[in-house]
Formats: sequence, C-alpha cells, structure tokens
Amino acid sequence: MANRGARARMAVALGAGLTMLTLSPSAAPAADPAYGEYLSSECVACHRRDGQDKGIPPIIGWPRDQFIAVLQSYKTKDRQNQVMQTITGRLSDDDMAALAAFYGSLKPAN
Amino acid sequence: MKADRRTFLKGAAATTGVVALGAPAVLGQAKPKVVVIGGGPGGATAAKYIARDAKGAVEVVMVEPLKEFVTCFHSNLYLGGFRKFEEITHTYDKLAGYGVTLAHQMASAIDRDKKQVRLADGVTLAYDRLVVSPGIDLKYDSVPGWGKEHEETMPHAWKPGAQTKLLKTRLDAVPDGGVIVMIAPDNPYRCPPGPYERVSMMAHVLKTAGKTKAKIVIIDPKKTFSKQGVFQEGWEKHFPGMVEWLAPDIHSGLKGVDPKTNTVETGFETYKNCALVNVIPNQTAGKIALDAGLANESGFCPIKPETMQSAKDDSIYVLGDAAIAGDMPKSAFSANSQAKVAALMIRGELTKSPTFPARYANTCWSLITTDDTIKVGGSYAAKDGKISTVDSFVSKAGETAATRKENQAENMGWYSGITSDMFG
Repeated sequence: MANRGARARMAVALGAGLTMLTLSPSAAPAADPAYGEYLSSECVACHRRDGQDKGIPPIIGWPRDQFIAVLQSYKTKDRQNQVMQTITGRLSDDDMAALAAFYGSLKPAN
Repeated sequence: MKADRRTFLKGAAATTGVVALGAPAVLGQAKPKVVVIGGGPGGATAAKYIARDAKGAVEVVMVEPLKEFVTCFHSNLYLGGFRKFEEITHTYDKLAGYGVTLAHQMASAIDRDKKQVRLADGVTLAYDRLVVSPGIDLKYDSVPGWGKEHEETMPHAWKPGAQTKLLKTRLDAVPDGGVIVMIAPDNPYRCPPGPYERVSMMAHVLKTAGKTKAKIVIIDPKKTFSKQGVFQEGWEKHFPGMVEWLAPDIHSGLKGVDPKTNTVETGFETYKNCALVNVIPNQTAGKIALDAGLANESGFCPIKPETMQSAKDDSIYVLGDAAIAGDMPKSAFSANSQAKVAALMIRGELTKSPTFPARYANTCWSLITTDDTIKVGGSYAAKDGKISTVDSFVSKAGETAATRKENQAENMGWYSGITSDMFG
C-alpha cells in the first residue's frame, strides 16, 4: 500500500538522516513523532493543542509511560468513556508510543 | 496577509515563479497552489492544516464569502438558551498567521479542464489541487407548498445565521397551548441528530417558560432516526406529553404546507394555525459541487475513501456535508476529520511529505435539557471501497445523571477544541 510505503520511507529518513529511501513497511519505528502528530489530529478535535482545559482534560506534556498507561486503560475498558474507548480501540502499541512521543514534546502555550 | 482582492492578487503575483528555499517543494517549479472553497469545518481545517504543515511550500487560498462564520453545531444550544450568538460566531483572523490567504468572495464556478476557480467578482484562481467543501444546499422543492420565498414565514434554520436568530425569536413567542410542527428531512442530510436535538431545545424553552401545554409535532419521512431510543426516553422523562414524533406509517405522508395560514397537512391530520412551522427540507451538496459535475445522482459527491479525492477528478478533494463519506454522518466533526486526511494527502502529492493510511473519527453530542446530554460516535477507515465503521457507540437508555452531565462537559469542551482546531 502506497501510504504504508511512505510511512516506512519517512521512518528510515528520520533514522538515517536521509531522504527518499525505501524499505519494507515493517520497518516502522516504535515512537515516530511525525506519525504521532498525524495521529494527534484525531485528538485535537476535543483536546486543545494549546493545553487549555475547557471541559476536556489537557493531554500535553505528560510523561510517556503515564500517557500510554491511560490510553491502554481505555482500550481495555478499565476506564469508562465511550469516546475514548472507541478511539483507543484501534490504537496499536506503536500508535500509542508515537502519540506519547508527540504529546510529550508539547508545552503549554503562554 | 489581509484578505482583500488587491493584496491577494499582489501576493499571488509575488509568489509566481518563486521556489521556497529549504522547503520540500517541487524544485524548479512555481510554488504549488491549493484553492479551498468553503470556510466551514472542512474547508477551514484543510486550509489551516495544509498551510501550517507545508510551512510556506504551498500557496493556500481559502474562498469564503462570509467574514464571520456562525457554526451550525451548537446553534441548537443557542436556540435553547445555553449559548449566546456571539459564542457560536467566529472570525478567520488567525488563519492568515498560518499562511492562508483569504478571498472573501463567493466561488461561482470551477473549470476542471483549466484547473481554475472563478470568483463572483471575476477573479480567476488557478489551482494544482482544489478542496471543495461548500456544505449543503436546500431542496426548496422537497416540501409541497414551501419554497425559498417562505423561509421567513416557515424558517428552516438549517444554514446558520439570520435564520437561526429568526427561529429563536419565533420559538420564544410561541404561546402556551401553541403547536409547533417540525418537518424533518429525509436521508442523507446535515447533522442526523440535529432535528431531534432541536426539538429537545424547543421543549426545554417552552417548559422553562412554563408553557407546558404547548406541543411539538415532528412529521418525519424516516422510519427511524439517530439516537432515537435515548431521545424519546429523554422527551418522556423531561417533557411528558409535549413531543409527538410521527413516523411515515403514522402520518401517512406529508401532503403539503400553507405558509399563509401556517397549516401543515398530512394524510393523517391537518394542523391549522400553527404557532411555528419549522421546515427542514431535503438537501444536496452545495451548488458549486453540482455545477462542477462532482456529484452523482444522489446529489452528493462520491469520494475515494483512502484520500477524500473526488471519484470524478483526482485534482479535487471533496469534504464534509457535500461528500458521500460512507458510514460517516454529515457532521462538523466528520468534516474536520476528513479535512486532516485530505490535507495530509495533498501535501504528500505537492511536496512529497510523508503520508499515512487514512483514519477518520466522529462524535456527535446532543443536549436534551440541562445536564442531560447523549452522544453517538465511531471510528472509521477505508475498507470495501468506502469509508467503513471500525467501531461505534451510542448512549444507552437509563444512564446515570452523572454520565449525562459528564457528556455535556465533553460537549462544551469539544466545541472549544474543534473551533480552536479550525480557526485558532
């Protein structure tokens, strides 16, 4: 699939500092911030990217392990919220790691 | 950059033949051009994301006649007194900071062969990729006896703005014992739970004013509707005897309306001297999409589920209510989600930036009365030639008051989040 190929290419580019190489799709890394940023576009419809709390909790700047643990607890339905259970239901471990890397890099806006 | 025509043209001329240094643009060519038609949840999000993430490597022009955008989402909350009109009104001021050039004009035509958009003032914009996100148009001929000339007498309020205010004024004037008739639309239409949230807000306003002898009758062409079980549970709980939903086998078909006498006639009953008739007609994709040949016989535009590209033109992406998005409902959340997929794919095509498999999401919250909010949602992906549901949920009957109150906090938080994502 072309998109998977592109993801793999970018993964390699990040790792080696090169561009336009092609490897197999299985080479996707565990915590790819660019992929995390794309995945985060699903989150920012509710969780404000600037970290403000207007009724939905901010999720920026969290420690990696805590971020992943919370996502996992929604996926396993230990935490109750239908929206979050549905969103996390299709997140793989790599997806969660990528999201944690991206969100961990964000700082609250002044 | 300021949004007037002169500065836009100046900006366009200045960028012609210039290659952005340090950006992953197509070397040796002019900066690629994206034109976005429509400044709603689809268009504004796409314009912002393409411009922001391309970091100057793509020229983005958003064509939107309005300088202030009133959101259809949460306009029911305005009707119910839970929102001020200013709170659902937004400007595009911050988009320029991301590199979006605003053209406050109506787009009058798309020339797909020449890859140009013509604006109402005669300016022509060339594009490499075009985003078409015009929302819906109303089928004024879908309700016998009603037409555009009657929208002041029998408002639709299905496009936000003056109609929204008119419906609020008319609702507030309904006397105790008065009858409101809503003509609900047939599928597919903008915001599937919207008519029923609106009915809830109408009942809330009437009850709050002590007008509990007033009644709302819904004449529906559909046999079922979104979140039906929990809406009806809420109506019985909060507004007993005030809301009557009539399925087609009960009302035996809408015969017509008479705006002169505020009459609605069905095969079952005639409602005379109604205090308010809210006609929500059937809908199509926005006219410009139809005129450009982007729609099929359904009146909406088929797309490729992997990218949101038009099934009829690879250079065009159709977003939001105008698109046939498979299992996704026509909602602001959906349009915003689709816009991010399109933005990713467009940048991938124009600047060779990485792309990832499309993934989509939607949630729609509906307020029934104070602190009683229900929701429906899902995750979606390209599968079997359409955008297909991966997983979904809907609020259940008998949920606790605490859950419903949490839903309302989410609803308000989501509004803040999505409008910040679109305009902020």
